Amino acid sequence: MRALALLLFAGTVFGQTSFPEAWPSYNGDTSGRRYSTLTQINRTNIDKLSLAWVYRVNPGRAPQAGGGNVNTTIKGTPVVVNGVLYTTIPDHVFAVDARTGREIWHYVWPSKGGWHIGNRGVAVLRETVYVETPDCNLVALNSKDGKEKWHTQICDLEQFYYASVAPIIVNTSVKNHVITGVSGDDLDIPGYIESHDPDTGALQWRWYAHPEPGTPEAKTWPSVEAMLHGGGMTWVPSTYDPDLNLLYFGTGNPQPVIAGQGREGSNLYSECIIALNPDTGKLAWYFQPSPHDTHDWDAVQTPVLFDGEINGQPRKLLAQASRNGWFFVLDRATGKNILSSEFVKTNWALGVDAKGQPIPNPAKQPKLDGALVTPNQGGAINWPSPSFNPETGLFYANAARAWSVYYLYDDDDKPEGWGGNDRGGVSDAMLQAIDYKTGKVRWSHKWPGNGGGVRSGLLSTAGKLLFAGDPSSNFVALDPATGELLWHTALHTSVTNGPITYELEGVQYLVVGAGDSLYAFAMK
Amino acid sequence: MRRLILLVLGSFCQHAFGQAGPYVRQEVDPAAADRGKRLYTQYCINCHGALAKGTEQGPDLIRSPLVLRDRLGDQIGPALKKLANHKSDLTKAQVTDLTHFLKDEIEATAKNRNLERPPNVLTGNAEAGRAYFNGAGKCSTCHSPSGDLAGVGRKYAAIDLQQRFLFPRRSKPLQVTVTPSGDQPVTGSLERIDDFSVALRDSSGEYKAWTRGPAVKVDINDPLATHNQMLDVYTDKDMHDVVRYLESLK
Repeated sequence: MRALALLLFAGTVFGQTSFPEAWPSYNGDTSGRRYSTLTQINRTNIDKLSLAWVYRVNPGRAPQAGGGNVNTTIKGTPVVVNGVLYTTIPDHVFAVDARTGREIWHYVWPSKGGWHIGNRGVAVLRETVYVETPDCNLVALNSKDGKEKWHTQICDLEQFYYASVAPIIVNTSVKNHVITGVSGDDLDIPGYIESHDPDTGALQWRWYAHPEPGTPEAKTWPSVEAMLHGGGMTWVPSTYDPDLNLLYFGTGNPQPVIAGQGREGSNLYSECIIALNPDTGKLAWYFQPSPHDTHDWDAVQTPVLFDGEINGQPRKLLAQASRNGWFFVLDRATGKNILSSEFVKTNWALGVDAKGQPIPNPAKQPKLDGALVTPNQGGAINWPSPSFNPETGLFYANAARAWSVYYLYDDDDKPEGWGGNDRGGVSDAMLQAIDYKTGKVRWSHKWPGNGGGVRSGLLSTAGKLLFAGDPSSNFVALDPATGELLWHTALHTSVTNGPITYELEGVQYLVVGAGDSLYAFAMK
Repeated sequence: MRRLILLVLGSFCQHAFGQAGPYVRQEVDPAAADRGKRLYTQYCINCHGALAKGTEQGPDLIRSPLVLRDRLGDQIGPALKKLANHKSDLTKAQVTDLTHFLKDEIEATAKNRNLERPPNVLTGNAEAGRAYFNGAGKCSTCHSPSGDLAGVGRKYAAIDLQQRFLFPRRSKPLQVTVTPSGDQPVTGSLERIDDFSVALRDSSGEYKAWTRGPAVKVDINDPLATHNQMLDVYTDKDMHDVVRYLESLK
């Protein structure tokens, strides 16, 4: 079974990627590197890349639950299995012929509500497609025709939860799992991650993003009540190391979000990179990028797994470019910090502690009269996926340097909800290439024109290419070693998801989402 | 203890998951909420607190799954009859009024990221702000309290002064000069620029665009660039002092 798992998941993961004929899960393989070994499209022929097909999602006449227009922006990464591409918008799954872009089926979930901010995509195992819905359900569909097999509730809409993350399949030597996460930070609720039986949807375990009362970690909260209402949502897909049998993910901001005076302490396990045993849901280790966050800087960005060398020694590594502007390299077996550095300049930390975790500057916490802070609430990076290229040893992040003023609205001893917000600001967008051995930015490409956040994920390939969207509706290929611009094409709007690549019948396809459309490219 | 938490939270979740109740949140009737507030003040406030966020005598009702799940008293009504030391003889109409008050408080809490009233940002020292304006901040290099900033304290609310001082809006289009190799420079208002093209509208209103490359020189003079660079220089004290000074320019 273990061998089967290795075959299924990235056969594997940290040396040679082996999923060229598919893009079987959110990040392609479970390492989160978004690196493909395909080379048909490469640096020498990229100028001959041509449009292969365009697919525009059509949700039909189904109204948006809760009113308003249907959110048709593709924010998820498509999954490609057996020549079929699956893409999503909230409440909708579309199966598309990955060769032609022709729709095979369209599934509509009869929604009860929830926040329709976006959907990150599906998971696929054998003949089942799994998707989360804004109204807190995990839905299993038959991959052949899109008919529902079952659904199960994974969170409580009444408590202001909602669901948006792409499920992840993890097959271990013990059992198979569908890993789900939850969202929502309006009203002080605990975040958690769950594992479900892929065949029935039955809950296997739930891990809450807070410690058990009475443990040393619980002392990072002033009270059990604050801890049990302390947030830590799990809204970006996990990564997985089959050799260590560890599942990795980040947790979101503590709650109340901005007004932190009622939750003094570092507020574990909010704002953490977490390693769990996927068979038991037991915590293996944690590392906290943003202790006592008061800026909404969810540390959910993909924990990227790769093997590398540190001081001449081979190491199993995990790296995250975090929303707070800091880059971390950890030993993924132990969680011990190897390196912490800024990938954009920030002004909120006093340095790092003995564990390598930034020390928040109390002066830069939200104030009644405002505190000038960088990054802003959108962060130095947000959910769009980074990429790690083992050939260059560089970690790529589509980043922003942004400023805003953080205001505290609620100075009560026990604030609830958000209790504040940020406002205004300027922002510069840039693509950062970070050397994982030094933490230094090897090269940086500032995107001209409109600043603001970039909502494009990244993809690097053995064809010596790095793909990214810029803030001006261009889909761009760069030299991953130098940042040199090699190719671009103008789309109808900015890239809104992470690009993918796969090979079918000898043709390498490159697919990217922009607004309501997927664009596929291939060689002429 | 972990099991206990799971059990407690699990029971809430099971209850919530099991019900097929309405999914639209209860719409608050303001008049009923006012009546409910009076009932709350009379019967509930001592234990549950002025803002229903709980005290040592009673739990938080804003975060209560039971209250969150309630619709027009279907949960709260039976709970009041079961729980010790609670007002068990409220009429159905009174319970409904109470739910409108609690739902109103919940909705207000869930939306309190939105600004209801401007925060007081006038905490600095105007004289120190004036000194910074004319000294270290070098603001007086481009601005004058008797010129472009005359009366600015009357013109804007204090929080807008703070935002505009830090992140000034462009008062006129950014000017760009494009010089194709061997050709005359063309200056105009920047329409758009990225790595691959640049476009402007010249003084006659004509739209002109070029593909960017080594043969096309692009010069942008951004008068706000200095402002953006200063963000790395200002302390929060500088910010508050300057805002107080600007507010004094009436």
